[in-house]
Amino acid sequence: MSDNKQPSDRRDFLLKLGAGAGVAAIGVQAAASLRSLVPNVSYDAPTTVKLGPPSDFPDGLKFLPDERVLVFRDGNTFHAISAVCTHLGCTVRAEALPNPQTTDAAGTTLRLTHRFLCPCHGSQYKGDGTNVSGPAPKPLAWFRLMLAPDDGQLVIDLADEVGRDFRLTLG
Amino acid sequence: MEKRTSSPYPRLDRLVLAIVGVVLVVGTALFMWSDRAHDWRYYQLEFKQLVAEKFGEDKAAVLPSGVRQIWASDLSRADRCVTCHQAVSYKGFEQAEHPYRTHPVEPLKLHPVEAFGCTSCHGGQGWAIDTAAAHGEVAHWEEPLLSRSLGETYTLAGNKNALMQMNCNTCHRYDRETKGADAINLAKRLVNEKGCRACHVVNGYGGTIGPDLTNVGEKAPEQYDLSRLSGQRTAFAWHVSHFKDPRGMTEGTVMPNFNFSTEQAQSLAMLMLSWQRRDVPARFVSGTPRTDPRNADELKAEAAMKTGPGGWFVQTGCFVCHSIAALGVKSPAQIGPDLSNAVEDVQSRFGLTIDAFLANPTGTMSVVLSRQIILTPEQKQVAIQKLREAFAEYQRQRGTPAAPAKEK
Amino acid sequence: MTLPSFRRTKPEAPGVHAERLWSFRPQSDREAGDAVVSNFMLHWFPAKISKASMAWNYSFWLGTVSGALFFLTILSGLPLLFLYVPSVERAYQSVKDIEFVITFGSWIRAVHRISAHLMVIVVALHLIRVFVTGAYKNGVGRGQQRELNWVIGVVMFLVTLFLSFTGYLLPWDQLAFWAVTVGTNIASSIPAIGPAVRELMIGGRNIEQATLIRFYVLHVVFLPAGLGVLFAYHMWRVRKDGGLARSDAASVVEQPRTTDAVPTKTYTLLGVARGTAPTVTTRTLEAANTTVNAIPDLTRRAAIAILGTIAIVSIMSVFIASPLEEPANALITPNPAKAPWYFLWLQEIVTDTTIRLGSFTLNGAFVGGVILPGVLIGLLTFWPWIDRSPHLAAGVWLPRERRRQNLVFLVLILGVLALTFVGMAMRGPYWHLYWPWEAWPEIPGRI
Repeated sequence: MSDNKQPSDRRDFLLKLGAGAGVAAIGVQAAASLRSLVPNVSYDAPTTVKLGPPSDFPDGLKFLPDERVLVFRDGNTFHAISAVCTHLGCTVRAEALPNPQTTDAAGTTLRLTHRFLCPCHGSQYKGDGTNVSGPAPKPLAWFRLMLAPDDGQLVIDLADEVGRDFRLTLG
Repeated sequence: MEKRTSSPYPRLDRLVLAIVGVVLVVGTALFMWSDRAHDWRYYQLEFKQLVAEKFGEDKAAVLPSGVRQIWASDLSRADRCVTCHQAVSYKGFEQAEHPYRTHPVEPLKLHPVEAFGCTSCHGGQGWAIDTAAAHGEVAHWEEPLLSRSLGETYTLAGNKNALMQMNCNTCHRYDRETKGADAINLAKRLVNEKGCRACHVVNGYGGTIGPDLTNVGEKAPEQYDLSRLSGQRTAFAWHVSHFKDPRGMTEGTVMPNFNFSTEQAQSLAMLMLSWQRRDVPARFVSGTPRTDPRNADELKAEAAMKTGPGGWFVQTGCFVCHSIAALGVKSPAQIGPDLSNAVEDVQSRFGLTIDAFLANPTGTMSVVLSRQIILTPEQKQVAIQKLREAFAEYQRQRGTPAAPAKEK
Repeated sequence: MTLPSFRRTKPEAPGVHAERLWSFRPQSDREAGDAVVSNFMLHWFPAKISKASMAWNYSFWLGTVSGALFFLTILSGLPLLFLYVPSVERAYQSVKDIEFVITFGSWIRAVHRISAHLMVIVVALHLIRVFVTGAYKNGVGRGQQRELNWVIGVVMFLVTLFLSFTGYLLPWDQLAFWAVTVGTNIASSIPAIGPAVRELMIGGRNIEQATLIRFYVLHVVFLPAGLGVLFAYHMWRVRKDGGLARSDAASVVEQPRTTDAVPTKTYTLLGVARGTAPTVTTRTLEAANTTVNAIPDLTRRAAIAILGTIAIVSIMSVFIASPLEEPANALITPNPAKAPWYFLWLQEIVTDTTIRLGSFTLNGAFVGGVILPGVLIGLLTFWPWIDRSPHLAAGVWLPRERRRQNLVFLVLILGVLALTFVGMAMRGPYWHLYWPWEAWPEIPGRI
């Protein structure tokens, strides 16, 4: 078999086509197998949780043990602070302040009626979640609150952290 | 020049290999396409357009996409209905046609979707994401969607949507009457009025002349004798025919003909099919006690406390430790003193007025009022006023004239 | 297509390999031999292969296709390992998830199922081909042990069937549950040890979680590993026995004639050590016009067979859906309840063979499920030693010397196929016979 240009080109092409197509297809099938391991639906607890109608929340604070979150109400304004200590994840306890304070939270005023203490290793937080003492490395997270469009319940998004200037105002 | 064996194979083999390679690529493209060809992508696109038309582009842009599921873990139901039925919790599409219709709000208030899923009420195959499979209209799925159209197939007398009530009875089985389940309510009334228990065991007790009906809904369709049944060959159809004419369906039976109307027979058939053992957690079952039971007297006393003059103390929780006898409030624990005479009692114990004490409580009350019962200043004023009312009533009951006002 | 050259300077001694990687297009016989020796994946190929062995119409490359299908079941099984949950509460739901919400899940499951079913068929065809060509017989070579390889092959076939059987249970639907019930009940009819065997297989008395996890571990770990080991040994034996039986025949048929002494083998360690080595001269078997270089000709054909198998299975999987019936329910037996299709011939025999001699009844499950298949498998396994035909008949399609045994064998195979067909297409509810076009009575539904 002589090695002149034309048969060699055709040989090259067919070889490239066969082997190349084979390798490409196998590669795509392998990638498809890997894609099958990326979940499309979540069996985790949903991160947006309905908390109940606003009328269920008194002025002051309400602790929700299932979501581990503290919901604050001041008239028609709501905000929510995580009760999960940023040190190792224990649930902090709220302690009423003898006298309410006012503080600046990211440029807005915030009335504080409580502070938070963690029973596990003694971390302490101000009423706006700022860590003031103990091993806690970060302040308590604030979460976004919304109203459910269908039934008007208060909804919290535990996956959406917001700044300390966040308020949900009704009406 | 090194030796090289010649070979007759390359010419043809290379061509065949190339063809095989191309076929493999075609096959790969085919299966990748097959993953994209699902109904739900079209329905989500349609809904996006509907929302854009009605509510604007920005609302349409934040619509979720992709396969979505509601995982009702307590009932082990992963329902993917909301992939196509995205309007379920979207206000504004109450009159649209399926799958773009908003769900009626009332039933969802007591049966939130996150806890119940969709299929526990509606039936169908929640795992599926293609229309026919999801509606249970495929082989090997025995729970079809209990829809209006299925009701029309059975020409249900009365409400065509009633078939769904079979699933209501999974949890509401031991209710006498369930709001919204009229067909089932009718059937339960008939069971009582017609005396089915004379011959059948129903809900655990009854007679033994006829078969035990406690879990009759579990009987496999193949175990029915359908030889005398005309029309649809289903367990449901058998029951309807059987109620209308027992002797026509079962040889040698002694069950009398009760002359049920079609609507009554169909309601009873729904009740029969709903009588199954289903694994639901106890707290889903209607009528499960959620606390220790109280007898009628206790309940009456409690109602009186809540609505009486001392109701405020019940509502705030003060009554857990304190009775306020003058206002008719009796504490179950009576840990603290009766507050009927708190006005003078606080004075004698602590040397303070109740105003001062509430402002700066000591002892147990300091713990309770800082952690458990947190009163706003306005609520404290209400407390003081009510305690004064209680004291006035206390003195009136004891026949003592009101002492001259000494406190500020 | 040339790879980047890591070529050293010209080799200084025979057996020293010039290139670190193999060449796709060896330009000489020596380079072709180098490619075999220097490559892990290809080292088990011979350097040269007889043209007789290459023919499509001799072996149909069924062995290669079986290997490709095994390879495919493993590859498709790997993602399924992550996605399937072997617990009776969750198995069915996990399979529904694979079918509906896992991207490409239904295709991966279809590939797994189709390649498993095809593997049973192709391995059976391979067995039939080997029998009919008498390739279990030794030829002219010394020290050949083709009978041993045949026995290993039969064992591999049984392992394939058992792999399919254990996998069948995993979806935990009605089909799975009752197929395994039928299968294990047949096993329990072995005299004396039957019930104990059944209890060991099931892990108890009823088919429950213990059964599921047992079958799962067998299916995923022990049987594939066992089959892999047997496969390696099977291929090694093929090489040791001098290749396919047909190449033996080819070497015998030609008149032996003297050719120039051709150095064909070096006996240094993989040719790595330097220095001169004894060379072997040969006369006819590796003459230039009866063999070709394995690289690239054998590898090219093997690629065609393997890629072709993958292509066909990939396309079939798009169009053939995998079944999933109602969730397993021990209280409701489907009517009819059938064994998996490759055991249907057994189920047919079981239902047809119940011997009654006066008051003595022989259990059909015993006769048809244990004795008959036991005898047949036993005969099959030991046939190489029972066969008395001359070894010239090895490696030839339907030789006259083996006409009778081939006839009996093919008749038995046909019988098995016929029984399988009856079981698949002609048995309806209550195991009554129906013509394939006859409709079965409609199964009632709930509502």
